[in-house]
Amino acid sequence: MNSTPAIALDHVSKWYGQVIGVNDVSLAIDGGVTGILGMNGAGKSTLFKLLMGRLRPSNGSVKLFGTDPWETTSPYRRVGYVSESEKMYDWMTSLDFVSTLARLHGMTRYEAEKRAEQALSFVDLEGVLNKEIGKYSKGMRQRVKIAAALVHDPDLLILDEPLHGCDPLARTSIMNVIREMGSKGKTVLVSSHILEEIERITEQIVILHSGKLVALGNLHAIRAMLDKHPHRILIRCADSRALASTFIDQQPVYGVRFIDSESLEIMTKDLSEAHQLLPTLILKSGIQIYSIENPDDNLESLLAYLVGDA
Amino acid sequence: MSGSDINDSEGRRLSTTVWTALDRKAGAVIELTIKQLRNKTSTWTVFGVSTLLLLLLSAFYVDSVRDGFESIDNDGDSVDYDGDGYPLGQERKYGSSDFNPDEYPGSGLFIPEGEIYYNGPRSHTGNHSWDADGPSLFSGSWDNILDYYPEGDEPCPEIIDELLENTPYGWSPYSCVMANGDRYLQFLRFDGNGTLTVAQGWYAIFGVVTERFQVLPDPPEAYIDEDGIDWDPNNPSSSQGFDDDGDCTRSEYPEQVAADNDDSNRNRIPCDVLWTRGADGSVIQIQPDMLVDEDPVDSELMGESSHRSFIIITGKIAFAMIIGIFLPLFLALGLIRDESENGTLHYLLSKPIHRGEFIVYRLSGYLIFAGGFVLLMSLLMALVTVFLGPEGNRLADFNVWFGIGAVTVLSLAAYGSIFNAMGLMSPKYGVYLALIYGVYEFAMAVMTLFGAELVPVISVSHWSLQMIDAVVLVAWPDTIMLSQMSTAFNIDSGLSFFWRPPLHTFGTGSPAFAIGLSITVLLAFISLPILVGQSIFKRREID
Repeated sequence: MNSTPAIALDHVSKWYGQVIGVNDVSLAIDGGVTGILGMNGAGKSTLFKLLMGRLRPSNGSVKLFGTDPWETTSPYRRVGYVSESEKMYDWMTSLDFVSTLARLHGMTRYEAEKRAEQALSFVDLEGVLNKEIGKYSKGMRQRVKIAAALVHDPDLLILDEPLHGCDPLARTSIMNVIREMGSKGKTVLVSSHILEEIERITEQIVILHSGKLVALGNLHAIRAMLDKHPHRILIRCADSRALASTFIDQQPVYGVRFIDSESLEIMTKDLSEAHQLLPTLILKSGIQIYSIENPDDNLESLLAYLVGDA
Repeated sequence: MSGSDINDSEGRRLSTTVWTALDRKAGAVIELTIKQLRNKTSTWTVFGVSTLLLLLLSAFYVDSVRDGFESIDNDGDSVDYDGDGYPLGQERKYGSSDFNPDEYPGSGLFIPEGEIYYNGPRSHTGNHSWDADGPSLFSGSWDNILDYYPEGDEPCPEIIDELLENTPYGWSPYSCVMANGDRYLQFLRFDGNGTLTVAQGWYAIFGVVTERFQVLPDPPEAYIDEDGIDWDPNNPSSSQGFDDDGDCTRSEYPEQVAADNDDSNRNRIPCDVLWTRGADGSVIQIQPDMLVDEDPVDSELMGESSHRSFIIITGKIAFAMIIGIFLPLFLALGLIRDESENGTLHYLLSKPIHRGEFIVYRLSGYLIFAGGFVLLMSLLMALVTVFLGPEGNRLADFNVWFGIGAVTVLSLAAYGSIFNAMGLMSPKYGVYLALIYGVYEFAMAVMTLFGAELVPVISVSHWSLQMIDAVVLVAWPDTIMLSQMSTAFNIDSGLSFFWRPPLHTFGTGSPAFAIGLSITVLLAFISLPILVGQSIFKRREID
């Protein structure tokens, strides 16, 4: 691996007139899978467009493998990019599409076709590679885009909301691909606005909010900090009143709220301890449980915690 | 996923085959562009309309070829304007007027002997035929005079010195006998022995009228194709031509009239044709004296001349002006703009390909596709004209059609790069810019057709049309002669209007020079907008 990091952003800002897309972000990423988390409009796509030389930073410097992507296209030899755009050449077959893009890397037609076949089978599309893309499902289209980004065996893979709108089967397949790339030592950047999705792929995350970098590091560490803050656990059961009595005097629980006879909300300041306690208490009470949910275990709550506004 | 160990069908490592990576990228973008154009409905619409236009033109051509070329009255002397039964050509020979039914061959010709001038003595006495133009008084005996009496019982006016407006009948022929037996008259011819006095500012002629004799009227057909071109290419003399119908030499005229028009080419030889040859011996100018060789046999000359006109008109208007402008408008404007608007551009630009390079490959793809269509069409048109054209060396036609195809391909490239740059300049209003520019180019082409040399030089169409003129001259060197013949001998094939010797030869007169210059200028028209487009595209953010 080269000593220069795959991605290096130094005080990068991007304004669209009065609107701020990315605000003073500094970041260096090299190796492994990194999740870029943020709500819609947080600046994830702007960040990726800056990395792909589609936008010019208003301030600061962007480097891909040590080179400014706005000035030269040479770093793209080592980069695979999957944009959030859903537009494709619907009249092309996936083999044609992927091999055409492979040829833009300087491959011969023959080599490009071989590589395209490999890449398409890597994303589980080997059976349909001669079918027109227009006839594909959303998840298949997404996988074709990934194959096109992988066809030249890049060192850096940038995926903008790759799981967006995909069915569970496609999600699993795409997540597997991302994990596999990460395990090969490649640098993978994947954005999402759904915490649970990223959690299933990687622990290393970057959180953006309103264009600013608000957290960077291990997801579990961030969550552990979050767990020490007030959390709700929503339990649907046969008798909420009886279940409440078993919780009320437990240490991590500082409040209980009845919603109706079958729903109960438990307030805690230590989520992990509360979760450790739950099974024992439920078994002891003998009350039938329908569901347990953590309504605060999402990106909104994480952001509310990190940014400091509830 | 590693593919570096893949070998091609001949066992060579793929990364070391002869094609460079650059060629492969170019090939991929060109191929993609062609496939995209092939998948657009507008492509096939504009191809279809172009084909229809050419089919229509071919149908006209086939129709005219099948009908042959009818003889026409090139000098317009088979008409009989005054309805006296004698065609103009015959009246010319006998010196009678074709606007007066009383004058016709053999009707007796008024031969003047003297005049009462505008500013001379006002009267003359004698026994003459008189032709009074304006208010006059005649005293003496008269004959052959028609009386135009004043209406009712009005007395004959005794006015003579007053203005014509004051006479009762203005400019009409008029006469009446006054109280003293003299005659007041205006605008009349009569015989009389006596004295004619003419009003101030008017004049009269006096002379004799020849004997009447009988001349049978010629049929009008006798004055069609009656004076052919008498030219022997092997005769080195520049003075050739013969006045077959005698209307220049006036051999049958009752009296030789002072022949002002006999030597209108001013070579001091009356009634001939001056054939000027260039350094290479080919005829470059034809100047006939008036009424010499002026009504040739059309079928002999119209065939070749019309055939060339058809090819030149089709080449200039259908190919260079219509197809040359419309194909790029539909196919090139959106080469990059559409990708950007469709949101598919990032697939291509996230690959290691320079944006400037990308524009060139895109344009190349468009040019191969649209240019292929144009070359195919010009080949088909060539087959039509070669097989149906008049006898002669028709293989030269292929060269002309190839030239027309090549000129159109250059226009496609120039307009393509201009329109593409406009699409890049303003994705929103580029189409309007392109339409305005298209109209400008068309206007410049029309000006060029009408012979403008200077104003249209800043246009692609001017140089395209120039190049077609030059290509025609290279393939058919005698086109100057045919064009001169069309002008000199009134052959209405359109050749002299639609074809002109190339203008921009810097005095060399060489069509090859004109072709070289046109190609150079067109290449500038191709490359400048590419550079402009590249510099715009390089700095463009793609959101």
